[in-house]
Amino acid sequence: MEKLTLAATARTPEIIFDPAAGKLLLDGESYPEDVSRFYQPVMEAVNAYLTEAGATLTVEIKLIYFNSSSARALTELCDLFDARAADGANIQIIWFCDDDDDITREFAEDLDIDLEHVQITIAKLSEHG
Amino acid sequence: MEFDRFHHFASLLIEDDFVLTYSGYVTEDILQAIGDTLRQQLLVKSHNRNQVRNLFSVFVELMQNVIRYGDEGPQPSLSTPAQKPVGLVLVAQNGQQINLLTGNYVTNDEANALQEKVNFLNTKSAEELRQIYYERLRQPPDNASKGASIGLIEIARRSSTPLQCAIKDTGEDCCFIMIKAGV
Repeated sequence: MEKLTLAATARTPEIIFDPAAGKLLLDGESYPEDVSRFYQPVMEAVNAYLTEAGATLTVEIKLIYFNSSSARALTELCDLFDARAADGANIQIIWFCDDDDDITREFAEDLDIDLEHVQITIAKLSEHG
Repeated sequence: MEFDRFHHFASLLIEDDFVLTYSGYVTEDILQAIGDTLRQQLLVKSHNRNQVRNLFSVFVELMQNVIRYGDEGPQPSLSTPAQKPVGLVLVAQNGQQINLLTGNYVTNDEANALQEKVNFLNTKSAEELRQIYYERLRQPPDNASKGASIGLIEIARRSSTPLQCAIKDTGEDCCFIMIKAGV
């Protein structure tokens, strides 16, 4: 399966999906004009990989800022992880957020409560200081 | 516009310690350009990164609100057939607090619906807003339901004072709606 790489723009994050390494990274800003069009190819590629037997994926979410439409897309993405994990994929999600960014941390916590087969670990976003 | 009126306009802005203002057609490209400038300026003015984050978030949601629901309004139209939303945005500093105001033309129905949503959100606590936000995320976007849009809930959550909303009749089939948020 091919690696998917999208360079960051002012309004969209860098995406690196590396099936061989079992890694997915979302890094940067997310307030695209058309959220579905941006996230759809990522969801499709990730889903195709996660339906393979024995798939393992570590997801790192390092979004400095995301708007409410992106929050909806991230919810869909996490629901997808949960569904594939229920089928047997081994997935872990690490969500990086600033210490003082309560609203983003609460969002990740609320998502985590709803996920039955995947856990979201919250980590400190520091490198963008 | 004569110099006198133009100067009057400028002097009104100088009365407040304003950070930034824009008026005209609002597009995603303009949102990004002003947003970048705003964030850079605020990082110099405010040492509170959380305040800058919240303000930028409120700014993006308000501007996207104008883009999605905005109307061209009563002013003479350009020759382009597609309607482009026209809006004003003003960011002003009042002591520690930074206020963000947008004004734009919407249909009368949309203005009334927006006013109701603002009033509804203003009755909610921070914890209730967190719940409403999360519930709304899991509902289909932009259906005709009465629920407040996710963007408006985001604005309410990131503001430190209740949202204010005022509507001015234009005498035509649209009106001018103003929203004020404080961060």
